[in-house]
Amino acid sequence: MQQAARATMPTRPARKPKKNYRRGDVFLAYVLVGPLILWLAVTILYPLLSAIQLSVLDVKVIGSGGEFVGLANYERILGNERFWAALGRSGVWVISNAVLQTVVAFATALILRQRFPGRSFARIWIILSWIVPTVVVVIIWRWMLGTSGGIVNYLLVALGITPAPIGFFSTGPGAFASLVFINSWRWFPLTAVILLAGMQSIPEELYEAASVDGASAWQRFRAITLPSLQPVLFVLGLVGTLWSVNVFDIIWLITSGGPSSATTTLPVFIYDTAFKQYNLSRAAAASVLMGVVLLIFAVLFMRFAGPKGEETAAS
Amino acid sequence: MPTAFRSRFGVLLSVVILLVLVVAPFYWIFAGSFKTPQEILSPQPTFFPQTLTLQHYDKLLASSDFPRYLLNSTLVAVLTMLLTVTLSVMAAYALYRLEFPGRRFLTRIVLATYIFPGILLLIPLYGMMTQLRLVDTIWALVVINVTFAAPFAVWMLQAFFQGVPYEVEEAAALDGAGRITVILRIFLPLTAPGIASIAIYAFITSWTEYMFASVLILSDANRTLPVGLAGIIGQYQVDWGLLLAGATVTTLPVLILFSLVGRNFIEGLTAGATK
Repeated sequence: MQQAARATMPTRPARKPKKNYRRGDVFLAYVLVGPLILWLAVTILYPLLSAIQLSVLDVKVIGSGGEFVGLANYERILGNERFWAALGRSGVWVISNAVLQTVVAFATALILRQRFPGRSFARIWIILSWIVPTVVVVIIWRWMLGTSGGIVNYLLVALGITPAPIGFFSTGPGAFASLVFINSWRWFPLTAVILLAGMQSIPEELYEAASVDGASAWQRFRAITLPSLQPVLFVLGLVGTLWSVNVFDIIWLITSGGPSSATTTLPVFIYDTAFKQYNLSRAAAASVLMGVVLLIFAVLFMRFAGPKGEETAAS
Repeated sequence: MPTAFRSRFGVLLSVVILLVLVVAPFYWIFAGSFKTPQEILSPQPTFFPQTLTLQHYDKLLASSDFPRYLLNSTLVAVLTMLLTVTLSVMAAYALYRLEFPGRRFLTRIVLATYIFPGILLLIPLYGMMTQLRLVDTIWALVVINVTFAAPFAVWMLQAFFQGVPYEVEEAAALDGAGRITVILRIFLPLTAPGIASIAIYAFITSWTEYMFASVLILSDANRTLPVGLAGIIGQYQVDWGLLLAGATVTTLPVLILFSLVGRNFIEGLTAGATK
């Protein structure tokens, strides 16, 4: 966490000599910050511990069972091919979303840097698809990508790109790819806005000097923009991965994990195990395992892709 | 110069493509919500509704459970907003304006919680809410939405809270005003744009939430908009007109609220990641 905190948190403006706490300040600070910390302890820390507890019991639905079964749930989960398949799909999901979003977001940020009428308006409203409820995103794309009456299929056929309407959600790979597209459509503006802010903090003189030296646009991008954006890319890589692995509603509301589990990522697997297969304890065990995997990822990412590192990729 | 013209044309073209990518889908559901059912299902899509009809809105507001969902969502969102603003403004003042032992540690805790994946908490929070007998009440949703909105809200406030010079508060204190008075009368008004931004962020977070609402709410009367609309999607014969009208009405409050704080919202959103 150390490096992440350093990357995201600016040191506060120098004020007083350090470690010279004012007693009134200290008391006030604890009174002010206390309620939030307490709230988070009760709604995050306590549930985390109770997930571990639930995972060693035998609870099918709330109020039933409750016998201690040790690590039996973990054995069942680790021996379940569907769990491993879901873990793999979550990995593919995170990587394909990251690649698509990073490319589109970079292009968007570069476009929004140019001068054009309505630029300041565009820089704000670009975020539109990120702020609308996911259920609206789902309705939009289910309708537009539909096989009968869907505008996308109509255009594809009318322009002669495909002979017949495509069932975007009817094959496994098709459904997965369509979901990646829809999710990226929702998230790329946020990435773009953050990249743009990062680009704006790069001094203009650097570009001018490079232009004078005859550097091409691509060379300027490689030599100035990318390195300067390293801290931003690091934050986006960490936060973006954890947010994107968590995506549930878009997948559930469009494919429910199908067809034949092709879009069952870990969150869908956990939800399905708990509330469709009615096996809460086993779902809790899967949650704990997912938490461990993410923790390992976060530690490795901070260790190897930290702001000082060489290879800060926006994964 | 032809090259200057070409690059100018390229910029405008790319802006138009971007605009179509982001805005066109919204236009499409908006236009569709005014079309007759026959026109909606017609194999030949129409760019403008041929015969404007309000029948879907009429059905949505007069003879469906939608108004009930709208009311529930509004209640949950407003309560989420009030609690989030209170908790995160207090915490952000301490973390970004005061010096105290453990400040860095607590700041990191809050940062760590905003990237925390909610799916890991779904099962245990469901159990906890059952024990507290909060299942099937809007309070369960309020509690969870605050948990997911507040840490990010603290992060967004950073840019606004650190922008106020300490001299402003010190000058007011010299005039004999007490600490709390200075915060309430001087500091908070100065940071009002930031506070408005997080208030709307909290509202939108709550307005969108589907996963927890789908398991914690059992009775139809307590459903929120996302779960209610998902119910319509799940029906065997999807009533697209009704769904498009529902999506339009659900989007509208978000657009109105966001238009109030747009620039400040983006500023708060980006400041933390780039400083």
